[in-house]
Amino acid sequence: MSIETSPVFLLDVSSGQPIDAELLDGIAEQQLVHWEDEWMPVLRDAVERMKAAGIERTKWPQSRHWDWRQKAQGFDRALANPGFCVTCQGMTQGMMFLDLLHKARIKSQTGKELVYIEYLENAPWNRRHIAGDEARFAGVGSLLVRAAIELSREEGFKGRIGLHSLPQSNAWYANTCGMTDLGADPDYPHQLRYFEMTPEQAEAFLAKGNTP
Amino acid sequence: MATKKTMTLNLTDAEMGVLEDLCEKKDLSKTAVLRQALRLYQAIETRVEKGAKLFFENEETKEKAEVMML
Repeated sequence: MSIETSPVFLLDVSSGQPIDAELLDGIAEQQLVHWEDEWMPVLRDAVERMKAAGIERTKWPQSRHWDWRQKAQGFDRALANPGFCVTCQGMTQGMMFLDLLHKARIKSQTGKELVYIEYLENAPWNRRHIAGDEARFAGVGSLLVRAAIELSREEGFKGRIGLHSLPQSNAWYANTCGMTDLGADPDYPHQLRYFEMTPEQAEAFLAKGNTP
Repeated sequence: MATKKTMTLNLTDAEMGVLEDLCEKKDLSKTAVLRQALRLYQAIETRVEKGAKLFFENEETKEKAEVMML
């Protein structure tokens, strides 16, 4: 499988300046090594710190149990489950797996094909609730959502995307991405809220440009 | 995005009719319908190879019919 790279940019939070980055249309062994060797120790430290500080469990990083190696093995060569990642300064900054076999639920689009975001995760050092004021790069999540929209358009799905959001990300998908919140899904584990983006909302999101 | 290769596809009138109907129903191009069909076929094959069975269930009667994969 050949992975193509597109130049993009992120925002360096400390300097406030844009910084060159890459969007890759695949997740390779290198990304999984970064996840194991770089992301996981930071995540584990964050959980230990929060535990020691008596911070309630619901505020701990909710993607901490995601096993990207297992996901990558499960989706290996699956046409319906392409992966994307963002790299910057030689390090993986975010990863995403999609599913192209889902249907839209929002009333105006019911039954139409969409790109479903199965998993999307930002590197822990970019997340404010983990890294605080020392968060390194902003814009990773927006770049990945943009990639999902672009793929949806390329496949003829008109920019429609959907996802179940972890509670910590609900506000970001609703407010930053402008997705419609269709409420808690009783048929989904932990009854996560389901969000969907219509072609018009996708157009509006793309028109905003790469704002974090 | 990944580089694509072009191929010629020979279909009977009946097959082309079905493809065109699906395109209209799904509001997708012929290429998009066929790419989606290929994804679905691979996904089902992968599950069946791992021992899963494919069923259609009537929502009202709960009657199940197994789809036999060749």
